[in-house]
Formats: sequence, C-alpha cells, structure tokens
Amino acid sequence: MSLQILVLTVLDGIAYGSLVFLVAVGLTLVFGVMRILNVAHGSFYALGAYAAASLGLVLSAYGISAWFAYPLFIVAAVAVGVSVGGLMERFILRRIYVREEYLQLLVTFAIFMILDNVQRLVWGVQPYFYTEPLSLMGNVTIVGIPYTAYQVIFLPLVALFILFGLRWFLRKTLAGSLIVAVTEDREAATAIGINARKVFFLTFIIGTTLASLGGALASPTTSVLPGMGAEMIVLSFAVAATAGLGQIGGAAIAALLIGLGRSSAVFFMPELEVVVPYLIMVIVLLFRPEGLFGKTTARKI
Amino acid sequence: MLELKDLSVSIARIPILRNVSFEVQEGETIAFVGRNGAGKTTTLRAIMGLVTAQGSILLNGQAVDHVQAHERPALGIGYAPEDRRLFSAFTVEENILLPARVAQLTQDETNRRLERVYGILPELKEMAKRPAGSVSGGQGKMVALGRGLMLGTHLLLLDEPFQGLAPVLANRYAEALRALRDTDRSLSVIITESNPGLLKNFASRVITIERGEIESVEDVSKVEA
Ligand SMILES: Nc1ncnc2c1ncn2[C@@H]1O[C@H](COP(=O)(O)OP(=O)(O)OP(=O)(O)O)[C@@H](O)[C@H]1O
Ligand SMILES: [Mg+2]
Repeated sequence: MSLQILVLTVLDGIAYGSLVFLVAVGLTLVFGVMRILNVAHGSFYALGAYAAASLGLVLSAYGISAWFAYPLFIVAAVAVGVSVGGLMERFILRRIYVREEYLQLLVTFAIFMILDNVQRLVWGVQPYFYTEPLSLMGNVTIVGIPYTAYQVIFLPLVALFILFGLRWFLRKTLAGSLIVAVTEDREAATAIGINARKVFFLTFIIGTTLASLGGALASPTTSVLPGMGAEMIVLSFAVAATAGLGQIGGAAIAALLIGLGRSSAVFFMPELEVVVPYLIMVIVLLFRPEGLFGKTTARKI
Repeated sequence: MLELKDLSVSIARIPILRNVSFEVQEGETIAFVGRNGAGKTTTLRAIMGLVTAQGSILLNGQAVDHVQAHERPALGIGYAPEDRRLFSAFTVEENILLPARVAQLTQDETNRRLERVYGILPELKEMAKRPAGSVSGGQGKMVALGRGLMLGTHLLLLDEPFQGLAPVLANRYAEALRALRDTDRSLSVIITESNPGLLKNFASRVITIERGEIESVEDVSKVEA
C-alpha cells in the first residue's frame, strides 16, 4: 500500500512538474534575455488552456476524433503565444525596456489583470472540461496502479523535448546564437549588426508560446477556470527563482523538485499542498540567493 | 570617406561631446587621442549609432544619421570596443564568424574574409576552438580586432587597442595593423589612444580631443614618409 502511494506521488509529481516546467522555462527565458519579469506570463497559460479546451469542445460537438486535438493544441498554443504575445511585446513592452524595474512589473501586472478580465468576458466564469485527450492514449499500470499515459509518458516526453530542443536551438541555430549574444551584451551585439529589437520580439513570443503550450496540454488534466493563470504564474516564478532566473536546464530540475514536493504534500500533508512549492523556494533561496543553478557573474542562458 | 559634422552628445543632460567635426580620408589612419574621459569612446559609439547624437555623420557622402545602429556594420564598419566585449558563450572562431552570419554573407565570402583575418592574425587560428571567455585580455584584443575585420571592409574603429597589452603583444598587434594596411590600402582606420606617443609612426594625422571638443588636428604623414 505505502509503495503504491509512493509511486503515485512520484508519478503525480512528474506529470505536474512537466507542465510547470513548460510554463516556467518560458518565464525564465524571457527574463534571462530581456530582464523583464513578465507577470502576465500566467495569462498565456490560461489563454492556452481556454483556447485548447474551446477547440476541443468544437471537435467533439462535430463528432471529430479527439486524436486531432493533439495537433490542435499545438496550433492553439502557437496562435495565442504569437498573436497575443506579439502584440504585447510590440505595443507595450517595447516602450518600457529602458524604464525602472518596478514600472515594468506594474505594467506586466496590469496586462495580467486586463487579460484576466478578457478571459472572463470571452469564456465566462464557469469551468470548461475537455478531457478526452487524457484517456485517449490509454493507461499504463505501475505496481497495480493505472495511470494515464498522457500524464506519465506524454507530458514528460514533451517537457524533455522542449528542454533539449531549446538547448539545441540556442546553441546550434543562428537565431539561437543571436539570442545568446544579445543576452550577454546587447551593445556589442548591436555593434556587429544584430537587431536586438527583433531578438527580443522572437524571445518573447517563444516564451509566451511555451506558456500557452503548457496551458493547452494541461487543459485535459484539469478544469479550465478563472484563476488558473494566477496560480501558475506564482508557481512558475517559484520554479524559476529556485533554479536561478535565466537557467533553462535548472528550471527542469526545479520544476521536478517542486512537482514532487507538491504531490508529496497532497498525499502526506494535504493542508500544506499550496505552500510546499514556496517553502522549497524559500529554503533554497535562504541558502543560495542566486538559486540552485544561478551564477552571480556573466549573464547567460 | 567618413565625415563628422558638429557631432554633439549629451548623456543625462551632461554634454559629453561638443561640435566634434573631422574627416577621415579613404585609406587613412587617424590617431584619435585624448586624456581619460575626453570623449574618444563616445565618439566611436556615436559613429556606430550606439549613442544618440546631434549633428551629422557622413559615410562616402551619405548621411547615416537615420541608419539604425544594427544596420551600420553592414555599411563596412568594423568596431573593436575598448573592453573587447567578446561573447563568452562562443568560441573564438564563433565570435569572429558571428558578424558574417548576421550579415548573411555567402559561405564563399565568409571563408574569404576569415582567411584574410587569419592571414593577418595567424594566432587566432591556433585559438579558434577555445571558448572566448578563456583567452587572456591581450588575446581578447586580437579576437576583437579579428571580429571587427569581418565586416570592417571600409572603416575600422579600434578603441584603445594597445591598452593593457604586454609589450610583446603590443608589438604583435602593431605588426598586424601594418600588415592590414599593406594588404588593404583603401581601408580607413581610427585608433584611439590616451598615450599619443604610441601611435606617431602609424597615423597620417593625429586628432586630439579634450573635454569633448576637438583641440587640434596635426598632420604627421610627412614625418612617417
Ligand atoms: N553612459 C554614460 N553615462 C554617464 N557618463 C558617461 C557615459 N559614457 C561616458 N560618460 C562620460 O563621458 C565622458 C567621456 O567618456 P568616454 O568614455 O568617451 O571617454 P574616453 O576618452 O573614451 O576615456 P578613456 O580614455 O577613459 O576611455 C566621461 O566623462 C565619462 O564619464
Ligand atoms: Mg574610452
């Protein structure tokens, strides 16, 4: 029995950690490159989830197989991340890059509030359920416990794919090299012909797309309802801070840690579920203020 | 080739450059000297578009004031900043190649330019695969020169290249610069220096800046010849 609970805890932690990673890695990428802590990042998670659930419900209304939902999730995530994220960068963030940090925080917080209200206007306050993609991939049984393959195989695979894909992108492609160069030294990058504005734009829509992908993939596992963006931004901030802001690989480990911490609390100390991620963050930051993997020296991603 | 007309720069409302005007001819090397804080770096940054400046900058007769900073290197301007500013995440060769990749030069053109850089600075070839963060300060100056040369086909801006170089390296750097001028006679170069003596036998003219204003322009080409 206790072995089963242990396994359940681990599986839950991995599934949840994978989703949190997708969101947190976008937050940390944007921070690492642009030095902006985007509070509205959580809105993209929520928007991705709403967009995915709505599209999914349209599919089932027309009796179309839920297998089409998986590619549609990606389409929804990219559409939300690129359009809403692109507009936000182009028309709002671009004006405040040179401003003080508190102002940047206030502005992104204001955008978060606005997007939260937009969601309520568009989707109302009732929860949405579109869970077919969750069961479609079947179950795996581990020490007698059936668990959905979507959560214990698919989501972790997506997280790993994003982790290694992002590292490959930053290290091996020209666009990635430009991001790395601008992160390290914006002026020196400009002086060799790099358009830092374009790089910021690209980075930001990659970040917001990752958040909305997290939301889209989370939608079958949960009820989509107001407030989910707020919960996620705080959680992914905890992950990013625990790892060290700007640390991509570190975010994966911190997400796993926090996912496991949360699931242990669910099973062993349910009343602590909500605070465990922040407890982990606080403990880590007390001993390592720059985060588990953070460096105090040169800026890098 | 390059003409600065009444260039003025203020940072936080403090005037840093005041009506700086001078010309650089094609193939000419200018020693741009002045004490610490005189405004040498600011002048070079203004040419690169990295600070907002009043006045006008002309390149081959064309005003570049409205050309954005990131578009200026493609006009054939290479810049080796004072403090090197290499990208430590990349190797030495990646640092040198990055400007060419950004400018989307063809592979042939990139190779040709890389060979030119290695021809003038063969030591760069030996450290090509080393992380740029691991080279010494002096070697870093060479790398910054090599990187600047990739796009600097018309104009090269070198900000205090000799500062902090051990004598052996400084000689090596000077030798490389001479080789560069011998292979490319149309290249214009501005070298800044706080110690004017160092550049006497390099430059055709010495332009002195003091507290943000041009103090003197001295023709020394006859001395050299
Ligand atoms: N970003 C800045 N903010 C405030 N003051 C600046 C800034 N950049 C330059 N200055 C000031 O402008 C003046 C000229 O600086 P600049 O770096 O151009 O001088 P320099 O001739 O290159 O000096 P050095 O020989 O020390 O390199 C200095 O007084 C410097 O303090
Ligand atoms: Mg200087």
